[in-house]
Amino acid sequence: MTGTRDPQQDGSIQAMLSDSGLESAAELRGALEQLRAVIPYEAPAPRADLAALLAAGAAGPVPAGRVPAGPVPATTTVLPMVASANDSADESLPAGVMSLAGRRGRKRRLAIVGGAVVGAMTLGAGAVAASSEDFRHSFSNTVGVIFRPAGHATPGPEHAEPSPASVPAIPAPATSPAGTSGAAPSSGSPSTGSAAGGAPGGAGQDGGKESDEQAGHRPPITPPAVGRDGILPVPGQRPETPGLPTAPGQHGGGDDGEDLPRVPGRIMPTLPGAVPTKAPDHS
Amino acid sequence: MAEQLSDDDLSAALAGDPSGFSAVYVAISPAVLGYFRARGVDDAEALTQDVFVDVLPKLAGVTGGHAGLRTFIFSVAHARLVDYRRREERTPHLAEYDPLDDARYAASAEDEALGSLGGISHTLARLNEEQREVLVLRIVADLSIEQVAGIMDKTPGAIKQLQRRGLSALRELVTEKDHAAS
Repeated sequence: MTGTRDPQQDGSIQAMLSDSGLESAAELRGALEQLRAVIPYEAPAPRADLAALLAAGAAGPVPAGRVPAGPVPATTTVLPMVASANDSADESLPAGVMSLAGRRGRKRRLAIVGGAVVGAMTLGAGAVAASSEDFRHSFSNTVGVIFRPAGHATPGPEHAEPSPASVPAIPAPATSPAGTSGAAPSSGSPSTGSAAGGAPGGAGQDGGKESDEQAGHRPPITPPAVGRDGILPVPGQRPETPGLPTAPGQHGGGDDGEDLPRVPGRIMPTLPGAVPTKAPDHS
Repeated sequence: MAEQLSDDDLSAALAGDPSGFSAVYVAISPAVLGYFRARGVDDAEALTQDVFVDVLPKLAGVTGGHAGLRTFIFSVAHARLVDYRRREERTPHLAEYDPLDDARYAASAEDEALGSLGGISHTLARLNEEQREVLVLRIVADLSIEQVAGIMDKTPGAIKQLQRRGLSALRELVTEKDHAAS
């Protein structure tokens, strides 16, 4: 049986064995030849529907009465039943429906698995966001940054722009309290500021002179101004500390300024600032 | 072996002309039947005829000559085998009483001798599913590695690997059986 195989097929077995590096295995070759001997010599007898299909090609259209009469006795009784069932279901595609259903099921399975993966990742990200506060904070910041230009388009850039532009102006507000504190003397100082340039003799002139120097130093570069301010603030702050009595003087407005000498006169060691504020309230 | 398919019949069949159907059936159905038998299908003939009833009206769209026709038919046969396996899993196994299947039955000396000679399907049944499929498609269906790769939806390298492992396992089984028989 196996000896009658044509050499071409033996060659294919030999090629397959040598392809896998097992060409020397004689017993394996015998097993493969046995496997090939499973192929029958003749085609199986076709059942009714197949015979009709074949006969249609062999002799053109076949009379309908002859087709079941010929092959049905040759086949078993089960096969015509299967054939008739297939014919009743669908004539041309008896089982194509099954393979399509299988593919559809596979697609559906892929979709389900994909949805499950996406859902699990969402849950995980949500858990991370809920557990760590840093993540939540940074996330809300990023979301705010993303959505702010749409809502508050103008205020954002305006707040951002003045800060670099006011870098030279920042020393001005830093020293401006000194300027505002010395605003009352500075009102009279422009004449003295123009003639200023001498040694700082008076304490009250220092404050005015300082404000003039700052006003004069703003147009030029700030670093020399800072360098002089580094020297000057020490004397510049001294007039402020004597200016402190002027601050309660400002606080008193003008009428209460006379109360100030009264109050230290009454209670010298105790708080000078606290009592005079109460004293006008009582009075 | 069945007769070869002539070029005229092949071209007629691939053109969708029913006059070539018979030649295609005679030439290829033995291999399909052997394929189903080697895979241990109960009613291999019915499955073979299912395959050809399905395949023959669709031959008009097949390209690739002899190899393409074989690949197409065996890809349908492979799909049918997969369908059969799934259906078999779902349906209860019905069997008539066969005295040879009786566990109380003791094999005779003749049966043991014949079983050791033949029984390649029993040996194959001990292989991996994919290895067995590759070996049967390569040997019984007489397909190339590329054709088997197309049918099983794998790369040719994977098919080569499966074939090599399947042959090695089969060799071990065969030598083991030889030692047991001797």
